[in-house]
Amino acid sequence: MNVEEQLKQMTTKLHQHEYVCRGLFERRGALSYIGHLDLKAVFERALRRAELPLLYTQGFNPRPMLEFALPLGVGIDTEGDWVDVAMEVPLDPEEYVRRINEELPEGVRVIRAVSLDEPKKSLMSVVTCAEYRIEAPGITEALLNVFSLEHVETTKKSKGREVRTDIRPLLIKPLTSSTPDSAEYMCYAGSQQNLRPDVLLKAVCETTGYSSEAAAEARITRLALYGGNYPDITSIEGLT
Amino acid sequence: MSVESPGRYVGGEKNQIVKPITEDMVRTVFCFPDIYEIGMSNLALQILYKVLNGPEWSSCERAFSPWPDMDAGMRERGIPLYSLETRSPLNEFDVAAFSLGYEMCFTNVLQMLDLGRIPLRSADRKENDPIVVAGGPVCCNIEPMADFFDAVFIGEGEEVDLEFTAVIKKYKDGGKKDRKALLKELAKIEGVYVPSLYTPKYENGRFAGFDIEEGAPASVKKRIIKDLDKVDYPVSPVVPNNNVVHDRAYLELFRGCIRGCRFCQAGYLYRPVREKSAKTLCGQGISIMKNTGYDDLGLLSLSTSDYTGLHELTDNLLEDFSSKHESLSLPSLRIDNFALELMEKASQTRKSGLTFAPEAGTQRLRDVINKGINEEDIMTSLKLAFEGGWSTVKLYFMLGLPTETMEDVEGIADLALKIERLYFDTMREIGAKPRKPEITVSTSMFIPKPFTPFQWEPQNTKEQFLEKQSHLRNLLKKHRNIRYIWHDVETSCWEGIYARGDRRLCDVILEGYKAGSIFDAWDQFFDYEKWTGILNSHGLKWEDYTQGWSTEDSLPWDNIDVGVTKAFLKREREKAYAETVTENCRSKCAGCGAACYKAGICP
Repeated sequence: MNVEEQLKQMTTKLHQHEYVCRGLFERRGALSYIGHLDLKAVFERALRRAELPLLYTQGFNPRPMLEFALPLGVGIDTEGDWVDVAMEVPLDPEEYVRRINEELPEGVRVIRAVSLDEPKKSLMSVVTCAEYRIEAPGITEALLNVFSLEHVETTKKSKGREVRTDIRPLLIKPLTSSTPDSAEYMCYAGSQQNLRPDVLLKAVCETTGYSSEAAAEARITRLALYGGNYPDITSIEGLT
Repeated sequence: MSVESPGRYVGGEKNQIVKPITEDMVRTVFCFPDIYEIGMSNLALQILYKVLNGPEWSSCERAFSPWPDMDAGMRERGIPLYSLETRSPLNEFDVAAFSLGYEMCFTNVLQMLDLGRIPLRSADRKENDPIVVAGGPVCCNIEPMADFFDAVFIGEGEEVDLEFTAVIKKYKDGGKKDRKALLKELAKIEGVYVPSLYTPKYENGRFAGFDIEEGAPASVKKRIIKDLDKVDYPVSPVVPNNNVVHDRAYLELFRGCIRGCRFCQAGYLYRPVREKSAKTLCGQGISIMKNTGYDDLGLLSLSTSDYTGLHELTDNLLEDFSSKHESLSLPSLRIDNFALELMEKASQTRKSGLTFAPEAGTQRLRDVINKGINEEDIMTSLKLAFEGGWSTVKLYFMLGLPTETMEDVEGIADLALKIERLYFDTMREIGAKPRKPEITVSTSMFIPKPFTPFQWEPQNTKEQFLEKQSHLRNLLKKHRNIRYIWHDVETSCWEGIYARGDRRLCDVILEGYKAGSIFDAWDQFFDYEKWTGILNSHGLKWEDYTQGWSTEDSLPWDNIDVGVTKAFLKREREKAYAETVTENCRSKCAGCGAACYKAGICP
C-alpha cells in the first residue's frame, strides 16, 4: 500500500456504534487547579488504567471518545458536572462508576452514571443553564445588588480583544439557599450563551465596589448543569 | 493570589506516595531546581522517589522551584517553600536532596533553600538544619556550588541513597548532635563527596589543588549499579495531572554509550555500558502503561539503536500495544531499514520528522570529535526515508568544536543543501510528486566539559560564536526549504564557566541570586551583563575558566574519580588532533579505565 492509499484508509470514517456512559462527577482540592484539557487527560488516563472497553476516535491520532458538558475553569470546584465516555459494548453504569473511581486521582469522583445507546445530540449542545456558588465575605449582598440592575456592563476578552458586554441578560436568578457569605445563583450556560463566574465576579467588583482582593480569594463551585429552556429546565441525565 | 498554572503547586497525582509523618523516620525532600513541568519529566526523580519511599523508616516527598510569580507571592506573604505531599516546609526535613541535571539551575538551588528557610551555606547550618545534598551529572564538578552542599553524590543513586539515609537515621536517633562528625561519617561512604573537607588552593589566580582533611579520601569514586536488571524500576511513577514537558511513560534501556564521541560528557560519565535485558524491559513496559494510563512509552538511552535487544523488545511491546492504541517513542534512533520500519509500526500517529545529529559539517571535524558517522551514511539513510514518504528532517550541529575553521561551518550549509537536492532527486527517481521538504538546521554551542578529552580545550568566545552563527545564517537565508535555528549564545557562554569552574564562583553565584537572578536556564531571565559585572567585581574574568588548561595543570575536579582515567583522556585528545577515530566499546576496548567496575560490556 502506498502513502496515498494509507492516508485514504486512515481518513475514511467507519460508523462506530456508541454505547455512552454519562457520568455525574465532582472535583475539588488539588484537581481543581488544573485546566480543562488537563482534566480531560486525567480522565483519559484513568479510563485507560481502568481497562474499560473504550471507543477511540478514528484518524491519525486515535483518542478515547469523551466529551464534557461544559469546560471547568482553573480553580473552580464542581458538584454537578457531566462527562460522556463512549464504549464499544454496553457497560453496566454501576460497574463503570466503580471501575473509574478506583483509578481517578483523589479529588475527582464520578457520583453516578447512566448508560445511553447512541445519543443523537452531543452532551455540550444540550447544556443551557448552570448553578454556581461563590463563597467570599459579604458576597451575597453585592451579588443581589447586581441582580437589581437593568444593565451590567463589563469587558471581556473575545478573540484576543477586549469587548464591552452587558452580562445582566445572562443572569437568571439568585437562589434562596444563599447565605451572607455564600451566594448561589443560576445563569445561562453552554455553547449558545455562557456567563463565566470569574467574569461575573469582575462585574460585581466594578459595579458595586466589592473588593477585588476578596473576589480573587473567592471559592467558586459549580453546583449543577441543566438542559431545556428556562423556566422549563430538565436534568442533563437523559437528554439525548 | 493568582498565579500561572496553579496545578504545579498542589500535588495530588495518581501514584503519589504520602506517608504519615513519624518521629523515628528519616524524611527526605527531593528538590528539583526548576518548575514542576520539567522536574516531573525527570527519570531520576521517579527512580529515587521510589527507592527512598521503600523502607518503612524512610520517606521521600517532592518540591520544585516556584515560578517567579509564585516566588514573589510567597516572599510577600511569608509562605515557606513546602513539599507537595504533606505541605511541610523544607526546613522540617532531615535531608534536602537536589537533582542537578544542568549547570544553569544553580541560582534556583539557592532560591529553594532560601524559600525553604534553610541557611544557604553549609558552614552556617546548625545541628537541626536539613543535610543538603546534590546528585546528578553536574556533580562531577560541583565546585562552583560546593559551599552550599553538605554532601554530594558522585554517580548513580539507587544504592548509595539508602546507605546515606541509614547514616542520617543514626544521627537522628542520637538526637542530632555534632554535625561535623556526621559529615566525616558520610564521607566514608563510597561515592559521597563532602566538599567542606577539601580546601582549594590557588596560585597566580589559578586553581592549584586541595588541602584534604584527615579521613577524607584523596579522590571520591563514582558509584554505579552493576546489574540494572536487579534494581527496582519505578513501574508506577507519579502521573502529573497537568501537562508536563514529556507527557509519557519511560523505560531506560541501558546506561552508558558505546560510541565515545569526544565532546559528550554523558558518554564518559555513565561508563561502563550496561544493558537491561529485553525480558525485564518488556515486563516493565507493559506494567508501566497499565499503572499510568499513558498512551505513549518512550525508550530512553544515549543511543537507542545500540541496544542489542531492540528487535525483540519492540516486537514484544508492539504486539501488546497495538490493540490498546498505545505507541512507542524512539528517540536517538540511527536511521536504517529496520529503524524506518520500526518507526512506522511504533507510532500510530502521522509520520513525524527524522532527526540526525552529524554534529559537525565536515568529515574532518567529525573525525576529530569521533562522531562515527559519515556523509554517505547520512545520505543513504535519508534516501530510504524520502522513499518511504518522509520529508521533514532535523539536523543538529555544534559550533565551536576544537580545531573548527570557517570551512567546517560552511560544511554545515553544504550538507543541508545536499540533503535538499537529494530530496528532489529521490522524488524524481521514484516518480513521486515532491512536497515542500522541511529541513531544519539547528546549532548549539560546544562547551568543553570535565571528564571528556576536550576538558583542557579553550572555549569559543561570545564573539566567535556570534560570527559563526551569522555566517551560517547568511549562507542559509536564501533557501526557503531550509530553516536555521540557533541557541542563545550568552547562556551557553556562561554555562562554560560553571562547567569548569572552581569554588571561587560560590560567592559570585550567591551574589547573583541576592541581586534577583533565578531561572538562569531560561533565556528570558538570564542577564549576561549583570553576571559579568558580578564576576569581575570578585576579581575574576570569564577567560579564567574558558581559556583552557595545560594537561599538566591541576583541575578543580581532580578529586573526583569516574573510572575513566586522565591518561586515556589525554590519549583521546591526541587522537582528536590527529583526526583519528577510536572504535566503539563493542568492537574493541579502548582501555578507558571504566573496566575497573567489572560490569556491563567491559572485558
